[in-house]
Amino acid sequence: MNENFPQNIEDELRRRLRAVDPPEGFIERLRAALPPEQRTAAVERLRAALPAEQRPTVVAFNPRAARPARQFGLPAALAASLLGAVFFGMHVANERTFREEQEGIAASQQLMQALRVTSQKLDLAYEAVNHPPDAGDEENRS
Amino acid sequence: MNARVVLTLVALLSAGPAWTQSKGQLRIPQFSALADKASETVTVTLDANLLGMAARFLSNEDPEQAKAKKLVSSLTGIYVRHYTFDNDYAYPKGDIDGVRRQLNAPGWSRIVGAISKKENTNVDVFVLIDGEKAQGLAIIASEPREFTIVNIVGNIDLEQLHDLEGNFGVPDLEIDTGKKPAPAKPK
Repeated sequence: MNENFPQNIEDELRRRLRAVDPPEGFIERLRAALPPEQRTAAVERLRAALPAEQRPTVVAFNPRAARPARQFGLPAALAASLLGAVFFGMHVANERTFREEQEGIAASQQLMQALRVTSQKLDLAYEAVNHPPDAGDEENRS
Repeated sequence: MNARVVLTLVALLSAGPAWTQSKGQLRIPQFSALADKASETVTVTLDANLLGMAARFLSNEDPEQAKAKKLVSSLTGIYVRHYTFDNDYAYPKGDIDGVRRQLNAPGWSRIVGAISKKENTNVDVFVLIDGEKAQGLAIIASEPREFTIVNIVGNIDLEQLHDLEGNFGVPDLEIDTGKKPAPAKPK
């Protein structure tokens, strides 16, 4: 018994002081309950207390990692805008060319029609002057 | 005083369209009310810009179009109103007489005038001569069931008009161009 007692105490202590996993969401709940200025320190203490394999991975924001996006974002946006403007300009120019072409074709058709009407009426005048029906029918010719 | 200013402005505004008209251009009524009554309507309004645009689309390969292209190169406007009706005299003769009156202005000469009582046709061809050049041509033709007003504005080359003979059915009206005819080429 005396020999076993220390052994039992040791076992009991080891059992009582063994590492126990925190319940799920414990860290988040604790973090939310803490004032903002204490959050980081508390979380770090908790993380340190956890075994290495159980520590949650925290990916910190690295401004250097974001730099390429910031570096090329504006030129890329400008290039995209320029490209868009070029395509839009080409589209407008094509539309205008097409419209002018349609107007030109319509105008040329109108012109030919106008010349045909003109020629018809000149023909009528020619007939009236050169081939009068009867002397009595024609009142005035010049 | 205010009334005078208003009257002056009204007079200036009403005279506005006259300033914008080219020499040889007639004030042709719109005849918009006739479009519903007419069985056939031809309305052509080609100013200098549209004539230039039209000329670009005329083919040099087609002899008819090539000659038309040459003719319109010196023109500044072509205006045609042609209406055909199913009934006799369904058009306002007063409007046509109004156009005729414009041709009494100095410079305009009637080169052809024919009135046929039998067929009730009336055809007049006028030319506006400025210096030695024809600056305008007007044709007013009225028949019981149709009327036509043609106004060609610009430097009209009467020889080119002669050249159109046989192309659009334009007859030789024996218009004196002031030039001797070219000797016939030996065949």
